[in-house]
Amino acid sequence: MKIIATYNIKGGVGKTSTAVNLAYLAAQNNYKTLVWDLDPQGASSYYFRVKPKVKGGSKELIAGERELDGLIKATNFENLDLLPADFSFRNLDLVLDTRKKPTQRLKKLLKPLTQEYDFIFLDCPPNISLLSEAIFEASEILLSPIIPTTLSLRTLEQLKKYIKDNKLRHLQLIPFFSMADRRKKMHCEIMETLSKKHQDILTNAIPYASDIERMGWERMPLAAYAKKSRSTDAYQALWQEILQVIE
Amino acid sequence: MPTTPLHFELPESLTAEKFLKKLSKKINFDIDAQQYAIKTYYDSFDWRLYNADMVCELNQSKTSSHITLIDRLTGECLALEEQQAVPKFSGQFRDGRFKTRLAAQIEMRALLPLCSLPYQVYRLNVLNKDQKIVLRITLDEYETLANRVSLQPLKGYDKAAASISYLLENSLKLMPTNGSVLKAALQLQGRQPKDYSSKLAIKLDPKMRADNASIIIYRQLLSAIQNNETSTIADIDTEFLHDYRVAVRRTRAGLSQIKSTLPHKVVAKHAAFFAWLGQITGDTRDLDVYLLSYQQYQAALPETLQADLAPLYEFLKQKQVATQKELAKKLSSSKYRKQLAAWEQYLKKPAVVKEKGSNAKVPIKKLADQRIWKVFKRVLTEGNAINESSPAEALHDLRKTCKKLRYLMEFFQDMYPAKDMKVLLRALKGFQSVLGDFQDYEIQENSIKFFSAEMMENNVASNTFLAMGVLIQYLDSMKCTARNDFAEQFSQFKQTENQAIFKTLFSH
Repeated sequence: MKIIATYNIKGGVGKTSTAVNLAYLAAQNNYKTLVWDLDPQGASSYYFRVKPKVKGGSKELIAGERELDGLIKATNFENLDLLPADFSFRNLDLVLDTRKKPTQRLKKLLKPLTQEYDFIFLDCPPNISLLSEAIFEASEILLSPIIPTTLSLRTLEQLKKYIKDNKLRHLQLIPFFSMADRRKKMHCEIMETLSKKHQDILTNAIPYASDIERMGWERMPLAAYAKKSRSTDAYQALWQEILQVIE
Repeated sequence: MPTTPLHFELPESLTAEKFLKKLSKKINFDIDAQQYAIKTYYDSFDWRLYNADMVCELNQSKTSSHITLIDRLTGECLALEEQQAVPKFSGQFRDGRFKTRLAAQIEMRALLPLCSLPYQVYRLNVLNKDQKIVLRITLDEYETLANRVSLQPLKGYDKAAASISYLLENSLKLMPTNGSVLKAALQLQGRQPKDYSSKLAIKLDPKMRADNASIIIYRQLLSAIQNNETSTIADIDTEFLHDYRVAVRRTRAGLSQIKSTLPHKVVAKHAAFFAWLGQITGDTRDLDVYLLSYQQYQAALPETLQADLAPLYEFLKQKQVATQKELAKKLSSSKYRKQLAAWEQYLKKPAVVKEKGSNAKVPIKKLADQRIWKVFKRVLTEGNAINESSPAEALHDLRKTCKKLRYLMEFFQDMYPAKDMKVLLRALKGFQSVLGDFQDYEIQENSIKFFSAEMMENNVASNTFLAMGVLIQYLDSMKCTARNDFAEQFSQFKQTENQAIFKTLFSH
């Protein structure tokens, strides 16, 4: 069982698409997979057509009054379940802060699920907060999409420094390029420079493509409506590379 | 939600088409697929999945082919895998949930097709207003059986399953039924589940004459021999031969231990035949055991030597193939057929026509008491005579005596209180296992030494012999462990409580 968080300090970099599409591919390969939508915006819940509602909200959830298993919803796809978001997740930081050992909380809540699932994807909200610290503690892999812009270099380095400073040795950071537009000269140049500087960046990138944007309209993972497309192939290649890296 | 019925039968008057029409007036669903398919059920010959309340189905249609493992009692899908055909052994499945669940049940046994059902399948998705699937329904339209509707509840949508189950039962008047159509499908072939088991379950009237009782036992053992014969010849899996040999051994034990119920001449003639069967099946079984133990052998070696053992596997496999071929030839020979037919014929003859042994008219319970009590006492005498310096032969002899005791107890188990017999058989089994280990490890150690000489001629790499040397050391240490364990296991077996039960049950 592996817990994979899709995370970036920046917003709008393709975290949710990554979680939803990779989870779908894992499930298609017969891995029992769960996506936990931790973002109060509830984008992954929306993609899976599940109501962003959790009984008892963030308070009861974090207090451990409700077993996570009872809150899980099957998606429309075999082997793929979702733990939906709730609007009250905007307060997750505050709720966590009221607990003892707040950063260990998610790890503890997830423990009973580790038997049942092969992969758990945590779709995280942006920022570095108490919630993200709890996510870092709970996860084994931090999958970080980066858009090839100059700012990305800074955020990637910030993240690496954070992991080093906080001695998060159990956490494997896997950065990859997302929303990459090969028509833009700048994107290509930055990808080249960054890849040289940071050898851990995956070789497969996710392109900026209109069929990925259509996910919001189709309300399902990309490969479920575009079985043969360049973007679908890109996610497939990315997933295979990730499997190799984490093995 | 255990009380919600999930499987329903359609009344004969309600065709699939009519049902769908009626359903569409009540709920919002789409038909995800509608196709002609063939469902084939699989299990091991000895029903290991069925005994574990599981059913394995291969569903093949034009567009898809998948295999599912289903909880027989609830209908819940435990594992699903896309497969064009069902692999014979669990080890041939892809790593994952299916393989893990399957391997735990069927171990070394082959998955065999039980029966096939052609049918028209409709897969329905029940949708909410967001077009989210809240329940899956399959409608199976059979040619020879009643049509069925099955609900597959989705996690987190229990309410939808409960309300649609209620609707099907109450508004559409469908009949709730149990999970699988397997039973009905088998019935069409005149079969029923669990129609084979390697365990003995012989019903005997304690007052019946010993010769009639022994014939009942032999007939049952003969049918075990016949049931396993074809697949032993075809080498479907190792357990056919194993069960075949157990039935042969039990017959031999019966002939020697259920004393004087049949005339001496008859016993002598057939005992020789069964001794021959034991002998011609031995080599193949031994090689099967080595091959089944191969992973254990490999794991016993340091990691750096594990790969070097591979030539031994190849050697064993080649040898197994050759001896199996020989065995198949012998079991297809007219000598074999004639002698088995003669035994069958003898068992068929009515008792009045038969010559009688001196114990023929003794009530079977009386004879069983005498025999079990006598052999039990022999086990105690032989066991008590063994000390730390006793030779290996003494343990081997004791092992054989224990086997005789075990078979006698199993033949006559039904005539004694079940609870007591369970206690005694468990104790005996525990004791037998240490004796069995001792002998098995000794034989394996010697065989591997012997094989190495043969392998020398095949230009096998020197590291393989190094690995085999380490393996022999491992087998020797296991043999010593079993030898050291003997005293403890024997004293557990002969503990006062067990002796008291033996005395109460058998010493009259």
